[in-house]
Amino acid sequence: MGIRNADFNVIYSVGLSMVGMVAISTVATVVVAYFSSIVSSRYARDLREVVFKRILGFSNHELNRFSRASLITRSTNDINQIQNVMGMLFRTLLFAPIIALGGIIKVLEIGSDLSWIIVLAFVSVSVLLVFVIRNVLPAFRRTQIIVDYINRVSREILLGVPVIKAFVRQDYENQRFDRFNVEYRDVNLRVYRILFLMIPAMTLIMNLMIVLILYFGLFDVLDGRLLTGDVIAFVQYSTQIVTSFIMIGSLTIMLPRVLISARRVEEVLSTEGSIIGGVHASCEGDAILEFRNVSYRYPNALRDTLHDVTFSLCPGRVTAIIGGTGSGKSTILSLIPRLQDVTSGVILLDGRNIRDYDLNYLRSKTAIVPQDAVLFSGTVADNLRRGKSDASDDELLGALKVADACDFVGSLDMDVSQGGANFSGGQKQRLSIARAVVGGHDFYLFDDCFSALDVATESLVKSNLVDVTSNASVLMVSQRVSSIMDADEIIVLDDGRIVDKGTHDELLGRCSIYGEIFSSQMGSMGGRDA
Amino acid sequence: MPRDKRAVRKPNDTRKSIRQLLSLLADYKLRVFATFICAVLSTLFSVVGPLLIGRATTMIFDGAASIGSNSGAFDFVTFYWLLALAVVLYVVSSAFSYLQSWLLTGISTSISYRLRRDLIEKVNMLSMAQMDFNKRGDILSRITNDVDSLQSGITSTFVQLVTSVITIVGVSMMMLSINVTLTVITVVLVPLSFAIIAFVVRRSQKYYKSQLVYKGSVNSVIEESFTGHDIIRAYNQEDEVFESFREDNDRWYSHEWKSQFYSALMGPITTFVSNISYVVIAVVGAYMVLLRAMAVGDILAFFQYIENLTQPIRMITRSMNLVQTALAAVERIFEFLDIEVEMDESTLRFDGLQNSISFEDVGFSYPNGDEIIRNLSFTVNKGDKVAIVGHTGAGKSTIVKLLMRFYDVSSGRITFDGVDINEYDKNSIRSSIAMVLQDSWLFSDTIRENIRYGNLDADDDDIRRASRIAHADNFIMQLPDGYDTVLNEDTDNISIGQKQLLTIARTVLSDKNMLILDEATSSVDTRTEKLIQDAMDRLMEDKTSFIIAHRLSTIKTADRILVLDEGKLIESGTHDELMALDGYYKSLYDRFDAGGHR
Repeated sequence: MGIRNADFNVIYSVGLSMVGMVAISTVATVVVAYFSSIVSSRYARDLREVVFKRILGFSNHELNRFSRASLITRSTNDINQIQNVMGMLFRTLLFAPIIALGGIIKVLEIGSDLSWIIVLAFVSVSVLLVFVIRNVLPAFRRTQIIVDYINRVSREILLGVPVIKAFVRQDYENQRFDRFNVEYRDVNLRVYRILFLMIPAMTLIMNLMIVLILYFGLFDVLDGRLLTGDVIAFVQYSTQIVTSFIMIGSLTIMLPRVLISARRVEEVLSTEGSIIGGVHASCEGDAILEFRNVSYRYPNALRDTLHDVTFSLCPGRVTAIIGGTGSGKSTILSLIPRLQDVTSGVILLDGRNIRDYDLNYLRSKTAIVPQDAVLFSGTVADNLRRGKSDASDDELLGALKVADACDFVGSLDMDVSQGGANFSGGQKQRLSIARAVVGGHDFYLFDDCFSALDVATESLVKSNLVDVTSNASVLMVSQRVSSIMDADEIIVLDDGRIVDKGTHDELLGRCSIYGEIFSSQMGSMGGRDA
Repeated sequence: MPRDKRAVRKPNDTRKSIRQLLSLLADYKLRVFATFICAVLSTLFSVVGPLLIGRATTMIFDGAASIGSNSGAFDFVTFYWLLALAVVLYVVSSAFSYLQSWLLTGISTSISYRLRRDLIEKVNMLSMAQMDFNKRGDILSRITNDVDSLQSGITSTFVQLVTSVITIVGVSMMMLSINVTLTVITVVLVPLSFAIIAFVVRRSQKYYKSQLVYKGSVNSVIEESFTGHDIIRAYNQEDEVFESFREDNDRWYSHEWKSQFYSALMGPITTFVSNISYVVIAVVGAYMVLLRAMAVGDILAFFQYIENLTQPIRMITRSMNLVQTALAAVERIFEFLDIEVEMDESTLRFDGLQNSISFEDVGFSYPNGDEIIRNLSFTVNKGDKVAIVGHTGAGKSTIVKLLMRFYDVSSGRITFDGVDINEYDKNSIRSSIAMVLQDSWLFSDTIRENIRYGNLDADDDDIRRASRIAHADNFIMQLPDGYDTVLNEDTDNISIGQKQLLTIARTVLSDKNMLILDEATSSVDTRTEKLIQDAMDRLMEDKTSFIIAHRLSTIKTADRILVLDEGKLIESGTHDELMALDGYYKSLYDRFDAGGHR
């Protein structure tokens, strides 16, 4: 600041101290960059971990409430968004107020009456920001929705290629996509055209501020109230102050977006898995499971999916449930390992409510094979060991044999791609049966899991299963009478209610619905066998 | 300039992508040109600004110096003129700068709109065999992610790069006109900061790439775990899954923070260089002022120019990554768009079957060599109900795909009324065959629109009638919104069986001359299936139909049963004939029978 009156020595010493400052500030910013990277990355890592763990503890109820797709986005994209803004927060937002403060102190030191110009610039920047935010936010929200549509329609088209071709609906699909595509374009155009107003407008505000300072500074200098050097310094400092306002301002534009993400993650974290285990980790009886007046209703549903269902499972016995599409068969199975909980009534294991048992204990007693076989990427062995983590290779091979899966599984190390895409439907079902067999369980729950097997394979697998499950309770769900007619007890389920129970022959004699199902499947064959 | 290794190794690809990018812009020549003009004008005006401000400052300085010496009045007129001119320049510069962004967003959103449209149209144009080569997720990512990164690449880097270069050149020239020594000092620092940045970029690239890989694996663990949630819980695998997630998550973190760190270094580095220039200018400039070799205002101008010079450098370095991503995106987009569509030159229209369909010594292999169908010959007369049976993988569905001309035969030929189907226009064949597949495909719209898909001209009554025939009307009416129920993303608001009923209703509505049912009722309960079948039988009375089902009971009434094994026709005839034959079919049937009655 002493340019005018000082000698060369002043220039030297001030110059040296400036170099020192630059060095210190550079080191400091590098340190900040280092720590901010670690902190924001670690924060994201820990957040992902917490969220993932929380979601693993969800029951079907919570999963359906959020939808799985949304949970995936929440634990990936949303957390990434938060992390990005956090990093930026550390790197710029933290500096901005300090820079602004330093600038303000320096400006006050100069002690001119020009400070109002900075205030004016500040107000203009704020007005600009409010204008942009108000106009951009609704459009932003709309963009998110349209992006979802674009993704969804593209996915549908990709999945529906054969159907689209078969109906010759290529043009229809192109148009369907185009509707969203056009809106996406228009909404994007609006968002960006408003957003891009920021930079030129803010640059203009800054430059006009400088002109104003010079204009009014001139009089102060001519009156001898200010030195020229002070005016120059004033310009520098006020530029710094306004730049930091702008920095804070541009971050506030990102903030609403990240707040949406934060809220979405927070929703997950504030949701408790509704199914909590009890303390009992042993049972004294013979592992008899009893459904007593069980009803189940999906949240927000108008009617019960299951109504007043009573039956029991005993070791060594095969119980089967048959019923039409949507009669509630799969729901019954999901209640046993407490994937969801009954709405009313009670399920007892050896006379004690299953809610009183430790969840891991309860689930270790049951093996479920779902209708659509779920496999995980990894090896065949990895997948089978989901049934029992410490199973030996021999155990795994034995299980494959039971499920008649040896012919297509070359070795236990055979790769399984995501979702088991490298196996056919029938092969996936057999692998998921093998997984259930590994380890040995007290309850085997088969949910129509032979549907993709041909008749010969089905009967082979089933006769193998008889040996494995001889001391366990088996509950088998099917739509095919032929699959379940030799069960010890057959439960006929219609619209969530038990219509009748009994053996095949008993039911044929007295249950009209069963008779109908039977004749629809057996056709004339029924007569021949009788 | 930072260059990643790939770019160095394969310059052809980069050059090709740039060419492709330019070809996209070619359709907007006029607007691109206008954008450039705006960018240049805006930069030029903004570059001149500090010069005027500097002059004005010098005047203040001189004015202050002259206060004591009474050497004349302050030249207010010139001073005001300078400031007024500066205001005008700044306003005009900002206006052009906004006009440039305005034009550019128009171009970039329009390009990305067209690319998305072209990609989807391409999906609908490619043959099934060509689609088999591309993974769905991959195509999806091209339509969404790649187009988006191209768009942001164009808007936030493309012109910025140009303006940055113009700014650097313009600013350097302005500085030269003020003071050569200071300019040299400043300009020498530019390559220096590029060099440091290039070094950092090269180091960070490694981590940037590896963290992308680990990010991918974390994302897939998450996806898989939530999809297989039921199984994980039912088998008490939460802890194991969590552990493996944690390993991946940790590995991602350990690479991710480093890549974050390196990219965070850019800011401090450019700031450092600009601060050093600032100090050097301040010190050297002060010297010169004392020596009367330079005006004070020029130093102020230089300060602003340093700022103006650092901005574009920062911009260029920051956008290098975006440019790379955008170029990679362009490459991927064109890779898909450039797939040659197999032209269907056959123009003969197929107007429905008159006499018969025949397979003459048909063979079919996938491009990977898997032979699915061999020496298949049979003839089907108009109005026949044909059933195809056999084990999984016997080639049943392939016959359907060949009939629909999803794939073309590898050898032999298929004829409709004696004419090779390859001579017919594909769409005309498909227009006369109704097909229901095992995987029911529905889209997110109302149930009404999903059924109408079968016949876009159908009115609400037609839709209702078709639904009744398919036994879907009942459950639809039980839904809170009836036919206006919107099927959601995973269409999990209705069951698998109900979905099949909707696809059957859609097919009933389409009312075609031929019908193919490929395991169409596999998830429908048998009672409903029987009802549907009766209705279908009525519908199919004088239509030719093909039915694939593994429930043998459903096909016994067929006029003709084809028994396939490993792609070969081993038996054919009516149910009774085949039973009498006492062969493969009978053994299948008996096993089914035995399975039921053991």
